[in-house]
Amino acid sequence: MNKLPLPRTAPSRRAWLGGVSGAGLALAAASASTSAQAQRVATKAHIVIAGSGLGGLALAHRLSSDLSGAKITVIDAKEVHNYQPGYTLVATGVWPVSKTIDSNADLMPSGVEWIKEMVAEFDPAANTVVTSGGTRITYDYLVVAVGTYQDWTQIEGMDVKAIGQNGLTSVYPSSDAAVATWAAMDAFRQKGGNAIMTLPHTFLKCAGAPLKMTFMLRDRLAQAGTMEKSKVDFYSALPNIFSVKVVNDNVIERWGPLGVNLHTKQKLTAVDIGGRKATFVTPEGVSSQVGYDFIHVVPPMRAPDAVKNSDLSAKEGVMAAGGWLEVDKTTLQHRRYPNVFGLGDINGTPRGKTAATVKKSAPIVARHVVDLIAGRPLSQQFDGYTSCPMIVREGSAMLIEFDHDGKLTPSLPMIEPLQESYFAWLMKVRMLKPAYMAVLKGRV
Amino acid sequence: MYEIWLVINIVYEIALSIWPVLALALAVWLAMVWAARAPLARGGCAVNALGLGAAVALLLFFSVPSLTNSSFANMGYWVDWANLAAVALGLGALAAVFFWPLLTLIKSKRGRA
Repeated sequence: MNKLPLPRTAPSRRAWLGGVSGAGLALAAASASTSAQAQRVATKAHIVIAGSGLGGLALAHRLSSDLSGAKITVIDAKEVHNYQPGYTLVATGVWPVSKTIDSNADLMPSGVEWIKEMVAEFDPAANTVVTSGGTRITYDYLVVAVGTYQDWTQIEGMDVKAIGQNGLTSVYPSSDAAVATWAAMDAFRQKGGNAIMTLPHTFLKCAGAPLKMTFMLRDRLAQAGTMEKSKVDFYSALPNIFSVKVVNDNVIERWGPLGVNLHTKQKLTAVDIGGRKATFVTPEGVSSQVGYDFIHVVPPMRAPDAVKNSDLSAKEGVMAAGGWLEVDKTTLQHRRYPNVFGLGDINGTPRGKTAATVKKSAPIVARHVVDLIAGRPLSQQFDGYTSCPMIVREGSAMLIEFDHDGKLTPSLPMIEPLQESYFAWLMKVRMLKPAYMAVLKGRV
Repeated sequence: MYEIWLVINIVYEIALSIWPVLALALAVWLAMVWAARAPLARGGCAVNALGLGAAVALLLFFSVPSLTNSSFANMGYWVDWANLAAVALGLGALAAVFFWPLLTLIKSKRGRA
């Protein structure tokens, strides 16, 4: 495991890089590391982490260094770790897919038990989870970080395996789908034609991705000189396209001059892949069929069945339909089961299904688990921070950061969130993956 | 403070992804420093190294945008220019430090010849 010899982690075999960073830094780090070691909480508690995405692994790393004597179990069958924020770059021909693929075995902290199965059932009343292999595992504390479920069945005729054929694309399902999407986009831009971009009615992970795909498709058509022969239509199932009004309005304002036509309250209900026809339905039930040469389909999303069908899911309110985890939005503690916390996309919190949310909330959840073990009151408050590097064309993006309330919250005062810039683009293509890895390893 | 810590970690992760190259460069640099230790102690070719670093910085200032799938046309506001300048100057400084012993060695060899 590769670790910087800095706070929260033990020295590693690659500590020489600390020297590269400067002797002063190394000294400061050693001092901070000693302090962190001294503050470790001794416990025999068993902590189960469901999920090995960014949130699950970040928490495993943090708890490994914050606790002494604890048993930490990560449950997830996934062997490949996908850097999902890179999918839009792969699907638009900016990145090779290899940049998005890592191995969970390389990223799992040492000393953590890894059960390579999925959680099939949560039984919080009995403090137990049941794995897909039928094993019952009892825990003292549980962190649910299982992500979202892409419910393709809500789109009649949709076949994920057909992505890349007949102009059918989607950036969401996998890295393979992202590769196939770029192949289809590359072929489409050579000739141009009718393009349909979609947005479902549910909460989404990376809700900016459908907008980025639209901006980039339009840019690829312009680069190929086929925009004049093309028509780009964006169909949103909602009255808007983004939950933060100022961003929503800004993007719509940009789309006008770019020739992107917006259709709201149009829910994609069916796709005829061979016939290249999409069916949309309005809230009033009026159905229309639209032909296309290229379509980007965004799946409706909900909680995975194991959460949705358990007592952990929200029972009322806007989060109940998707079965999202019922957590308090400021502590990320389950509302009815105090030894359960949620992290990442599974949480039934407003506007927070991005890697940036995990960056800010993983340290809070880790601290709260430790607080609970130590018998202290929960000490942190999550403001709902999330971020969306909104690509507006190849080479330019907007670095949009906001909180639970949809208020723009730039990390640095000089950043103008709605200003398209090279810096935001550079962040997206060169700096966010390293930042993601630092978050995953529990350092930031 | 958090942002500084984040930037340090980003630089570390980038370095980690190319560590064999960095390790080789460090070994070569240390060997050059050892070989040129006497003239370096007298100042060596510091001015020449600074000039080379400035040239590298200038080259990078004009080439980094295209090397990152962008262009000067995408420079939106002063933050873009400041970041580009920081990247170019930082890498230029590294180039100056790296080539300082090499330039010193070349000058010493010419002096002996």
